[in-house]
Amino acid sequence: MNKIAEVVVIGGGVIGCSIAYYLAKKGVKVIVVEKREGLCLGASGANQGACPVQLFESPVLELVKESVKLYKGLSEAIEYDIEYQNTGSLLCSVDEEQYPDMEKHVQRICRSGVNARLIEGNELRELEPTLGKDVIVGVEEQDSGMVNPFKVNYGLAHAAGKLGAEFLLSAEVSKIEINKDKVTSVVTDRGEIKTNFVVNAAGAWSPAIGAMLGLTIPIRPRRGQIIVTEPVPLNKRWRYIIDADYLTIAFDVEAAEKSQDARMKLGVAGSYVQENTGNWTIGSSRDFVGYNNQVTMPTVKYLAKRVIEFMPRFKDVNCIRTYAGLRPFCYVDGLPILSKVDNAAGFVIATGHAGEGVALAPITGKLISELITENRTSLPIDAFAFSRFKSAKTKSS
Amino acid sequence: MEKKKDIIVCRCEELTEQEVRDTIRRFNLRTANEVKRLTRAGMGLCQGRTCEPLIKRIMAEETNRKVSEMLPLTKRPPTRPINIKFLAEEGEGEVE
Repeated sequence: MNKIAEVVVIGGGVIGCSIAYYLAKKGVKVIVVEKREGLCLGASGANQGACPVQLFESPVLELVKESVKLYKGLSEAIEYDIEYQNTGSLLCSVDEEQYPDMEKHVQRICRSGVNARLIEGNELRELEPTLGKDVIVGVEEQDSGMVNPFKVNYGLAHAAGKLGAEFLLSAEVSKIEINKDKVTSVVTDRGEIKTNFVVNAAGAWSPAIGAMLGLTIPIRPRRGQIIVTEPVPLNKRWRYIIDADYLTIAFDVEAAEKSQDARMKLGVAGSYVQENTGNWTIGSSRDFVGYNNQVTMPTVKYLAKRVIEFMPRFKDVNCIRTYAGLRPFCYVDGLPILSKVDNAAGFVIATGHAGEGVALAPITGKLISELITENRTSLPIDAFAFSRFKSAKTKSS
Repeated sequence: MEKKKDIIVCRCEELTEQEVRDTIRRFNLRTANEVKRLTRAGMGLCQGRTCEPLIKRIMAEETNRKVSEMLPLTKRPPTRPINIKFLAEEGEGEVE
């Protein structure tokens, strides 16, 4: 069965569905193609739903800030509660050697306009009795938030559907047709769709879509493992607590790989989020094992060890579930790719969000919809251009 | 049908049959996994042991298919709740 669309979005995760929603809002006829039987089945459904503001520097910080703003109004806009909450966050350390880094960190983020302050260990424990005696210092920040990623994904898709977007599930893309350097159609095992625009929002699977046009998209699947606990009483002050090691491990792949420490090697840095239900998700980890999304015992062990260092109460809490997701990580510079492509007019890339896909979904949808309909964006996206990879070449057809 | 509204199908997450049906209809869901993700059915302490057959039956009714055609919920380790301390000491001999 053949169809016609103005834009075909490949990928039914938070990024693809957000793009579909923002395009549909502008009256654009969109078809979302998803190879799996439902939405939100990749990294979008295997994360902690956190939108951290204090972890990023420019140029990603500007996107995160704007995205959090969009999240604030999203439930109302799509008439569905995505469970957005402004929780703030606490980044803290159990390592005395990190104290000077924490001072630098708070100065840096304050300079970039984030409302943050440094708090000493004893005051931290007064404010949040669940924190252990090893926590020496923390940086509190008030802009971060959390959402329910499944509800974001399905809520955006549903809202897009009401505005005319179509969803083609269990449909795998086999080919993208090009004529005179312009995209003309997308071929799937459920039929062909004639279109002038194709958005590659396939996350960790985006390189395979790029390869159909001879493009090398420098993305590798990065596995992240997470433990879920039984519900426990809500924390008094902070329900989003981050290990200061996150600043190094998450953003410096080489440092983690070269480390002699077993935990560092597995890319384990604490990221703890307590949901409204009282359940905690305990992350985070990062390793590169192809498309294997299994949970592994060594990583779970170090996630468990680490959380007990920060909050000893976890010794007596049960793990009820574990899961892992494959995040699209740009191995050149770790930044997202939000870009058109030379020599393939109509092909747009929106991937490389690594662990920040949920946090960046609204702003990505908004910017990509602007890029397609107006050929300009309300925030600068030059830093995310595909042309930054000099070695990447298009196969002329 | 009115009576069904308050029947709890997932005891762990205190979810009613009506909430499950409403979610399936609102989003045109086709799989039990989607119900789990959107309603938390099967995400509690028992990890779907009680509610999975019920969710599948409701899904089959709502989509005019057979229960045998329903895909199972994704199974996530551990099979039973396990203490975080025990995980942290895995492979380290004596547990304190």
